Amino acid sequence: MADETKSPSWRRDPSLPFQRMDEDAIVVDPRSRQVHLLNETGARIWELLETTTSVDEIAELLADEYEGATPEELRREVEAFVGDLGGKGLVLPRGRA
Amino acid sequence: MSEREAPICDDSSVIGVDGDGQVLVAKVQTWARKNVVPLNAAIEITQRCNIRCLHCYNFDRDEPRDGCATQGGSAKPELSTEEILRVMGELRAAGCLFLMLTGGEILSHADLFVFLDRARELNFSVQLLTNATMLQPGVAARIASYENLQGVSVSLYGATPAVHDGVTQMPGSFRRTWDGIRRLRHLGLSVRLKFILMKQNAHEAEAMRAQADADGLPYLVDLTITSRHDGTNGSLSTRLAASTVEDLYRGPLRDLGVKEGFEPTDASWACNCARGNVAITARGDVQPCISVPLAAGNVREQSFAEIWASSPLFQRIRGLKIADYETCAPCDHKRYCHRSRGAAVTASGSYTGVDPFVCATAEIAHRLCDEAKAPAEPPPARARLAVIS
Repeated sequence: MADETKSPSWRRDPSLPFQRMDEDAIVVDPRSRQVHLLNETGARIWELLETTTSVDEIAELLADEYEGATPEELRREVEAFVGDLGGKGLVLPRGRA
Repeated sequence: MSEREAPICDDSSVIGVDGDGQVLVAKVQTWARKNVVPLNAAIEITQRCNIRCLHCYNFDRDEPRDGCATQGGSAKPELSTEEILRVMGELRAAGCLFLMLTGGEILSHADLFVFLDRARELNFSVQLLTNATMLQPGVAARIASYENLQGVSVSLYGATPAVHDGVTQMPGSFRRTWDGIRRLRHLGLSVRLKFILMKQNAHEAEAMRAQADADGLPYLVDLTITSRHDGTNGSLSTRLAASTVEDLYRGPLRDLGVKEGFEPTDASWACNCARGNVAITARGDVQPCISVPLAAGNVREQSFAEIWASSPLFQRIRGLKIADYETCAPCDHKRYCHRSRGAAVTASGSYTGVDPFVCATAEIAHRLCDEAKAPAEPPPARARLAVIS
């Protein structure tokens, strides 16, 4: 269960078309007429965002899967990435998800 | 494989994607083709239609036969709503992202919105092919409410009501189609026109393009009318004469038709059929493309995944090289050829065959390109002498 005091929670926009391509993923946004290519880590985060998830939860899960980054580094990376997705309208904050 | 070696035919290009997005779409298309993932699928949800186009490739709408069998395919009833929904799930599981719903006329199907609901649940990027005549305000608004709707493709057959309605055999269809187009655009949807040129409308080609340009609408132009998938060929009476194609290529279509391509490789000659592209007909036949009436199997008898993976037809298509196209391989016009597999199959019965109309069109484009490249005629001798003196 996410600790709501710790970090914001997000969920990917369930209406957006996407497709995995081996490790990567493509996300299509017909409203903005844009297409987004996610690398392996981005695609994994997109997968985790199928259900409402906090940045901390995502960072914790990724820490188990990826070596070489400290939990704090991962958290900052995830926060920046999810914030970027949010800025593009690809993920929705808790309450709108 | 480079993007240059992996052309995507016009019908499977993605509507409603801007700038850099098209580069990414090309990248994912190349990936799908290389990995044989059916990224693009068309489902013909019905062959019913409210207009009766003279050139329709489905079947002779003036004299319909019982069932309209694809070569080696079925003459069974059309797929039920439940069957189409099941196939949509199977396509998504197989890796399809870009789903086109086509007909017939899609709005003739009572459950179009059931399919659109399911497509949204499955995260498809959806494109619709419609004649737009049934897009009343409420219908257009409902369609526009689907966030995953990528765009709508609309066919047009003239620049004036008399010509367009003459082709559709439906008085008022020109006005209704344009009303539908404008409603969709007003609602913010991406619309692309497709001009099918034939004897009846070739004289309006320039005006059709001008209309689209004036409205800022992208469009494709298609000159290739084929015989029908029910085995009849009345549609061919609308086909352009070669002399008209040449007139068009010298005139209003010069910038589109007269282009020198590159010498094809085995990879580039192979189109997206059965690699990144697939189609399901209204009767459940699985085809390499909606315009290629060859059945690889039927979704009523096998799962889509099984047909995609093991159909002998698809495996054969995936293994073809230029040398297997006996007429095309030695042809000098390949660099100018807009080869259509659908036209080849309907004209010759073979995927590797040819349609003489397409061959003639390539020859004309080649000749006009050569003419354009030829050095200018030197001035008459007398004039040169006059300059010297």
